Amino acid sequence: MRARQFGVAACIAVLSLGAAACGSSKKKSSAGSSTTSSGGTVDIYSSLPLQGASKDQTGAMVKGIQLALKEAKSKAGQFTVNYQSLDDSTAQAGSWDPGQTATDARKAVQDSKAVYYIGEFNSGASVVSIPILNQAGIPQVSPANTYPGLTTSGPGTVAGEPDKYYPTGKRTYLRIVPQDRIQAAALLTTMKGDGCTKVAIANDKETYGAGLARLVELQSKAAGVNVVDNTGIEKTAPNFRSYASTVKGKGADCFLFSGVTANGAAQINKDVAAAIPTVKLYGPDGTCESGFTNPAKHGIPATLGKAFKCTVATQDLKAYPGGQKFLASFKAAYGDANPDPYAIYGYEAMKLGLDTIAGLGAKGNDKTAVLAALFATKARSSVLGTYGFDKNGDTTLTDYGLYTFGPDGNPAFSKTIKQGG
Amino acid sequence: MQVVRGFLSRYGLILALAALPIFYGVKDLTGKHPSLAPLANNLVSGISNGSIWAMIAVGYTLVYGIIELINFAHGDVFMIGSFTSQAFWSLIGVTLATSTFGVIGGLLVTLVVAMVCCGTLNVMIERVAYRPLRNAPKLAPLITAVGFSFILQNVGLLWLGGSQASVDNLIHQGSKVFSIGGVVIHREDVLAVGLTVPLVIALTLFINQSRLGKAMRATAQDPEAARLMGINVDTTISMTFLLGGMLAGAAGLIYALYQTQVWFFQGFRGGLFAFTAAVMGGIGNIRGAVLGGIIIGCIQQISDNRIGPQWTDAIIFGYLIMIMVFRPQGLIGEETREAG
Amino acid sequence: MSRLDQLRNSLPPWWNRATAGVVIAFAIIFPLLFGQSSSFLDATTTALAYVVMALGLNIVVGFAGLLDLGYVAFFAFGAYTVGWFASSFYFKAHVHSFWLSAVAAHGPGIHLNFILLVIVAMVICAIAGVLIGLPTLRLRGDYIAIVTLGFGEIIRVFATNGDGIHIFGGTLTAGRQGIPVVDQPRPLPFIDSFNSLNLRPWYWTALVMVFIVLFCNVRLRDSRLGRAWIAIREDEVAAASMGVPLVRTKLLAYATGAAFGGMAGVFLGSYLTTVNSDQFQFGFSIFVLAMIILGGLGSIWGVVVGAMLLSYINKYFIPDVFDKVANSLHLGFQPSDLSFGIFGFLLVIIMLLRPEGLLPERRRQMELKEGVGADEALALEVSA
Repeated sequence: MRARQFGVAACIAVLSLGAAACGSSKKKSSAGSSTTSSGGTVDIYSSLPLQGASKDQTGAMVKGIQLALKEAKSKAGQFTVNYQSLDDSTAQAGSWDPGQTATDARKAVQDSKAVYYIGEFNSGASVVSIPILNQAGIPQVSPANTYPGLTTSGPGTVAGEPDKYYPTGKRTYLRIVPQDRIQAAALLTTMKGDGCTKVAIANDKETYGAGLARLVELQSKAAGVNVVDNTGIEKTAPNFRSYASTVKGKGADCFLFSGVTANGAAQINKDVAAAIPTVKLYGPDGTCESGFTNPAKHGIPATLGKAFKCTVATQDLKAYPGGQKFLASFKAAYGDANPDPYAIYGYEAMKLGLDTIAGLGAKGNDKTAVLAALFATKARSSVLGTYGFDKNGDTTLTDYGLYTFGPDGNPAFSKTIKQGG
Repeated sequence: MQVVRGFLSRYGLILALAALPIFYGVKDLTGKHPSLAPLANNLVSGISNGSIWAMIAVGYTLVYGIIELINFAHGDVFMIGSFTSQAFWSLIGVTLATSTFGVIGGLLVTLVVAMVCCGTLNVMIERVAYRPLRNAPKLAPLITAVGFSFILQNVGLLWLGGSQASVDNLIHQGSKVFSIGGVVIHREDVLAVGLTVPLVIALTLFINQSRLGKAMRATAQDPEAARLMGINVDTTISMTFLLGGMLAGAAGLIYALYQTQVWFFQGFRGGLFAFTAAVMGGIGNIRGAVLGGIIIGCIQQISDNRIGPQWTDAIIFGYLIMIMVFRPQGLIGEETREAG
Repeated sequence: MSRLDQLRNSLPPWWNRATAGVVIAFAIIFPLLFGQSSSFLDATTTALAYVVMALGLNIVVGFAGLLDLGYVAFFAFGAYTVGWFASSFYFKAHVHSFWLSAVAAHGPGIHLNFILLVIVAMVICAIAGVLIGLPTLRLRGDYIAIVTLGFGEIIRVFATNGDGIHIFGGTLTAGRQGIPVVDQPRPLPFIDSFNSLNLRPWYWTALVMVFIVLFCNVRLRDSRLGRAWIAIREDEVAAASMGVPLVRTKLLAYATGAAFGGMAGVFLGSYLTTVNSDQFQFGFSIFVLAMIILGGLGSIWGVVVGAMLLSYINKYFIPDVFDKVANSLHLGFQPSDLSFGIFGFLLVIIMLLRPEGLLPERRRQMELKEGVGADEALALEVSA
């Protein structure tokens, strides 16, 4: 009986504490916004997995987002921008968590000033947040999702996609990176050009990695490349030497790891290269970053780097004025002359939002107007190249940049791959 | 029925253990190019991989034997061992350009440093998180162990980030030492086995011969009686954690050299497999832990190579369950002190 | 403690019922104090689901003393029940039960009513619990822990690789991609509709589940079966010689615990709107185990408090309170960099401060007071 009483008391204590905490935080935020009413404020959220293995990529993304905000001096037209970086991972899980993703989305839904939502990083997480934000009509822009089923039906998607993610029937989700289909084509074009005859693919079994690998396999025949193996790997495996000997046994001369750096990319590339010394290595934008290629940042050894090529949706940043400026300010802010693709994606996701809000003038705090303006974006000149959005919310960008191992160990732009070219 | 049961209880375990290699051996021999070399190669890398698990498993089993705690932080101590090793050898300037003798000397110093660091860390964890709970319910220290596991992982995450970090291939891992009939022995195999065997032998000798070792065994059997005999139980337990931590540190160095990568999350899988190895061998039994580690290493390699790396975990745990069904007390069956 | 005892004895006899009534009333009106989609209501709803989970595990570990490290398996089975039988995952089939929400009633795939789902999941989990329990029957102590852990991991591997296993014109699972957009339960006439923006009906559903499971737990603990479980936990040999049927009693513990886990799994699966194999990690088993140990192993009210506390820490304190405070202090780092470690640190601190758990079981308290000789002597030595 006594235990029960304590239990009851403790429950009440916990609940009322929480209620108090909640009540007070609400008060604070409303007080804060009323004082800065001159010109008005708008709220922008980002929701990314900031803990665990994806921390490096999402950290780079937040850097890019903050840089864009800093350049704009936290202003979008006449509005002051209140940016909040939310975390869709939990301490217990150490990776993105569906519950936390929904919580983040609901935070934006509750906020009447929310006009723009950057997220998610994982396509699996976007599946959770898209319907929630859709019901509230908040524009959502993903800086990283490439899974086709989020916006379109067709090969590589599941029945009912994408309509089941949009309960209101109206699209509210856009993405600034092209779908995997385009990246798969770019990779295949590169491989074909390099004379690959037998390609082995390993994927990290995540929505992005497995999806891209499947698309490469699907499109390989049309591209005239022979895929001899497509295996999902266990990212926690200490090495992949046995797997590498399997691949060697199949006579592969080219190898593609379809996944992100944090899922064992360096090790599997090293092991495959050790088993097949003449192998050519390829990677998607998930590994096209200095953390993977630069030996000084614990990436793969330089000897392997020279056999490695990767594709990113960014072109030669030095080639156009916006890119030059971005590189300079990134270096000034973070001391790094070579931003990772994810930093660029994050930067553009934020900049797109700020520009769109600014372009609306006094209506910039109206999320419906922002959404309409986003879908109406045409021929926007950006660090990713010139692009707009189609009616599904997909970027019209179809060119991929091919990157090779640069003299400083970081990926360096080599050439542009036109789709179908 | 009786006959079947008798047969199974006598040979079932051996059959279960040998099933995978025999199956693939037969398959190889009846295939297009009959040869046992691929299987033998699997077993070679299985043994060297497994000896890393074995070293961690010994730490698990020592601690379990003496305070019956599943030390979930042990795998992360091993991870810290890898991190310390790579940081230390970079600090003293051992790189790919260093001469062979320089590398060997540097790595020996690194080995000592890693062992001391991890030993000390393990003793400190015991002092802070387990000793105050010695009189608490049996599962309480399990939770502090999990807590420390999280803390150490966070340290690793802040240290080298979320991705696997490649380290210099100092031992030229992958280069052949010698080969017999298509069975290739690599440098890393020599390193892993060559360091594990003397360390485990030294540990066994220490436990069997020295005063402290005897005290450890006495405490493991009956802490109360040991205390009455004038053994300082606390010191003995600290000693056990020191030894376990030192082995984890050594395993950490070997792992970093062998895999040429370190990762903040490596301790999770390392710990899980080592724990499995310890249980497979019979918890509290050093020889059993080593055997368990090597068996897991071999299953892992065969499965990675033949079945597919994504199924390896399921196969290892499937094996574990089979072994538990046939031999509930583990492979080398000593009945340990029963939980109260 | 004794002063509290005195205080309790001086209270009138209706006190217990009155407090219980007040708590229940408060619990029911609780969501009306918050916005429909407030994050605190969300954290509370999740916490209630974890309470169901933890009370289920408490039967296996707390009552029967069988250390189960693979409890995540039942979360997986529960959640996949939702994924399989309440979504368009098997879109080739067209099965619809009664009482469905408008969307579910017309979509392709198998669609079962929420109550049916709970029943199906409980049956599946009970069977799975027995199957997992069978190999552990001869095992003692921590050997049980590793076998259950093994099963948990095997099920995770199958959930992850299930996207490559083809059955019934579809795949077994959707792996890491997840089965998205599962059905939302159809609302009762007088309550708001279930959706991701209005959490109140979800909260009440979870609350009803907690009440059911609490009731079952209390009744089971005081029943003949409950006493048999505790007897096995305390001394298996003695229990067997007193005529407790070991096999049946142990398997019933596994089955009951698993069934409650499945119930919570169905709820979480529907509530989170997706079933993703990444949710079924070993860490989840440890998380639930930490709840019951932290709360007080075997103590029903302790487990409730432990589950609430840890879920609040994980879902509310670290992401909302801690991050906000750390951000406002401008410490120059991302607070989320530390949340992993903070969570671990809190586990250590709470356990060190309350080694027997927050609200220890009374039986255990008695044991601890009387002492068991050896342990007490050791304790004296430690404190000296």
